[in-house]
Amino acid sequence: MSAVRQSGTGVFSMNGREWSLLVACLLAVVIFSVASPHYANPGNAVTVLRNSVELLLIGLGMTLLLAMGGIDVSIGIVMGLAAIAIGRILGADGSPFVALVAGPLVGALLGCVTAAVVVLGRVPAIVGTLGLLGVYRTAVFALLGGQWLSGLPSSLTDLLATTVLGIPVPALVIALAYLIVWLALRRTPYGLHLLAIGNSEEKARLSGIPLIKVRFMTFVISGVLTGIAATFYVATYRNVEMSIGSTSALDAIAAVILGGTSILGGRCSLLGTVLGVLLLRILQNGLLLIGVPSLWQPVVTGVLIIGVLGFEAASNRLPLTRFQRARA
Amino acid sequence: MTAPFLVARNIAKRFGALTALADVDLEIRPGEVLALLGDNGAGKSTFIKVLAGAHPPSDGELLIEGKAVAFASPKDAAASGIATIFQELALSENLSIAENVFLGRELKRSIFGIPFLKRAEMRQRVDSLLQELDAHISDPEAPVGSLSGGQRQAVAICRALNLNARLVIMDEPTAALAVAETRKVLALTRRLAGRGCAVVLISHNISEVFEVADRIVVFRRGRKVAERLAAETNHEEVVSLITGAHPDVRALEKTN
Repeated sequence: MSAVRQSGTGVFSMNGREWSLLVACLLAVVIFSVASPHYANPGNAVTVLRNSVELLLIGLGMTLLLAMGGIDVSIGIVMGLAAIAIGRILGADGSPFVALVAGPLVGALLGCVTAAVVVLGRVPAIVGTLGLLGVYRTAVFALLGGQWLSGLPSSLTDLLATTVLGIPVPALVIALAYLIVWLALRRTPYGLHLLAIGNSEEKARLSGIPLIKVRFMTFVISGVLTGIAATFYVATYRNVEMSIGSTSALDAIAAVILGGTSILGGRCSLLGTVLGVLLLRILQNGLLLIGVPSLWQPVVTGVLIIGVLGFEAASNRLPLTRFQRARA
Repeated sequence: MTAPFLVARNIAKRFGALTALADVDLEIRPGEVLALLGDNGAGKSTFIKVLAGAHPPSDGELLIEGKAVAFASPKDAAASGIATIFQELALSENLSIAENVFLGRELKRSIFGIPFLKRAEMRQRVDSLLQELDAHISDPEAPVGSLSGGQRQAVAICRALNLNARLVIMDEPTAALAVAETRKVLALTRRLAGRGCAVVLISHNISEVFEVADRIVVFRRGRKVAERLAAETNHEEVVSLITGAHPDVRALEKTN
């Protein structure tokens, strides 16, 4: 077999990037354990995992978007709008099962709106979603009327804060979402088409790929995953604040890029995204515990993005072909 | 002589006031490599774009196996068995050889209504195609980005064959290749014709054309000025046809 094997032939096969992320996670845990007496305990580990739930779901969708050469910077506020819908249903003492459906439904609808702008309207994804970000942010303010949704009933929480066969429901949902997205990406024509579009839209068109359908679908999938994230958000915090999701897009893009997905499209790693999310959350939690104010969290995320892309740009100048590196 | 696969009659293509192509009559036969020669702007590219369905002709008609056809898009042409391998190959470097060969026409099985790829079957089919073409590519799972220019041409040819192409149009397939690679692609071209495919080859390299073509057609200023069997002409005559120094071409151009 050649040295330039395609990465990700099995669900859990790991490449060099993914191993180094795993090592980075472990290293961070060790360092924080030494630096802070409050760090190394099971309660904190649960906190980190708990804090990762929404970002893992959003990150899976963002991985597909970036792999396709797309992006969605409005994704955090999409989660906010879905959370408001869920909160309103719970606040009116609606059925938690209706609330359960509301998240993915609102997510899918907003995904359609984004797709209509970016795919049908042919507005570049970065600009189109930036425009939507402005619109949605005002929508969140208008819908909340300057007040938090707080003290929501615990009906949804009771439904989701349980375990099945000893496994917490959020973990099950994430595992299922991961498996479905992985299968779609690596085992269906949709995944091939998505990666071909990410590599070159023009070549994908010449190959007879249904460009519009694939791109539209991907924005909707990302919306649905974000809607599920909103469901867990509301179930956990039982309130929706004005600033909901304001750092989610930045965090998600950072985690996905950390994980080895190309910002230019055509190459992605779902496992890398999962590890990227964990590393990000471990760093944010650890820095907080050693006394760095949470105000600094976006700085850390921003520096990580710039650092990773800067490093990749620098290593692009090394005398290796692009694909040897991409597949290494 | 076999019946032609495709007949072009009086094909003309005008872009506004500009006449890119006028009165082109041509027959393309299965199992034959037909080379199109001509200077830049002679109309070769416009002509193959008409054949490939990328440009509708302004005048004239195309017949495939005797039946008139009108292509609205490259997809129509592909459905009629015409595959074009463009100079800038439409391959996705990040996908494997097998994935590229089947891209857009994957083999799939439906499980709970979801189409899943038949990966093993696609790999086997590509493996046998590559062996049949003697393409010297051992692993159909390798990403196309790791292949040489000649190997990529082989993948593009596999893709055309897999689409059951009856006519393969190759636009300067050797333009960017090293000598050894060029040899391989020319051999591939011959094997393609050997399988009963009609092949139309555009090239600027006349000695290359003599090596591989059965018939040579020369375009000049949007017209077909000559058609020769490769065995019945030579390098000098072809050059004079291209440059317009040949008496036949002079006579033709005087009457127009």
